[in-house]
Amino acid sequence: MSSSGTIVMPGERISAIEEVAKSKRVILGPGLRRLDDTVVASKAGPLRHKEPNTFWVDNYQRRYVPARGDLVLGIVKAKAGDQYRVDIGSADLASISYLSFEAATKKNRPDLNPGDLIYARVLVASADVEPELVCVNSNGKRGKLGQLADGFFFKCSLNLGRVLLRENCPALAALTRRLPYEIAVGVNGRIWLKAHSLRETIALTNAILALEQAGYAEIDKVCDNLEDFLQA
Amino acid sequence: MPSKVKPRLSRGVLDMKFMQRTKKKVEKEADDEQSRALYSNEINEKMINSSSNFIVESSYSICEGLIDGRLSFRGMNPEIELLMEQELAEKRAHSKPEQPKEVSDKDMAKAYYANKAPTVTNSMAKKFSSKKNFKRKQHGDDQARSPGYHPKTKQQFKKPREDDD
Repeated sequence: MSSSGTIVMPGERISAIEEVAKSKRVILGPGLRRLDDTVVASKAGPLRHKEPNTFWVDNYQRRYVPARGDLVLGIVKAKAGDQYRVDIGSADLASISYLSFEAATKKNRPDLNPGDLIYARVLVASADVEPELVCVNSNGKRGKLGQLADGFFFKCSLNLGRVLLRENCPALAALTRRLPYEIAVGVNGRIWLKAHSLRETIALTNAILALEQAGYAEIDKVCDNLEDFLQA
Repeated sequence: MPSKVKPRLSRGVLDMKFMQRTKKKVEKEADDEQSRALYSNEINEKMINSSSNFIVESSYSICEGLIDGRLSFRGMNPEIELLMEQELAEKRAHSKPEQPKEVSDKDMAKAYYANKAPTVTNSMAKKFSSKKNFKRKQHGDDQARSPGYHPKTKQQFKKPREDDD
């Protein structure tokens, strides 16, 4: 993944992508729009490119916009008939059917109460209807999804969530050199942490939030200093 | 003016029992036409025959190839760690590193042509020879071969050797 420093502004025409699109297919990620044959940015931020042909704008944002396939952390807000209403940080509350949990049946409902945390996948994301979540994969297995018990929950920017989830991101590995812990990072900028003690949990939280302002380039350096945060 | 309107079957005819399938077809055609008329001023030629090179993907996780965010380290949650390990193994299997070859490509080609290629070339040559040639060739072959040879011995699959794999 190249982190070329081109910053684009909303409305800016990006002819570099148009050039590429003449010869091969191009995937336009969030922050880019197509108007006939022209590509225009719709968000402000650095333009990212991943080989072979993916482009997107990595803008700073705290409001989550649901997209199909994303893994998110949600807080159960209410029970509504056969659905739960879940806050995932988007403009609208998401809904999840009580049947979309592992081994759930009409008689055997999952035991979820308002205030519980769940790690779920976005199944339906459309501008016109509320997002819908599931806690099972296509085989009906739970996998890594489901309710998160205990632990500590905090919010961060969407960028930080994505930074942590990059492949080969050194941050989480650097933290575990000091402490064993369990974590759930949602791409909606919400993180759930669980360590052995309260002290450790707070230390880890501070360490992760210290990465907030780090760019891709500086992250290795910051990771070296993470241990200072853990000791504090 | 010669009527441009397509001849239509009357409702009385379409209601007959044996015309049910035709009726459905006619209804579908009428429906299609109606919807086409409805959207005709919205849809233009470009929309119909344009082939775009752009794919729009609204998810960061797919664009960036993000990993699953549920992780556990150093035995905090063995269940999750097991899943992580399985995933890792699967990924490794996908991008299998090139296994060292016991036999080099050159040796393989040499051995292949020494052992097998003649039979392959023969059978391919057979394909391209005419029927006349084929017969003559067979006769010629028969004469040339020893009397004990049966050209029509049935070929069978043989049990693979155990050390083959």
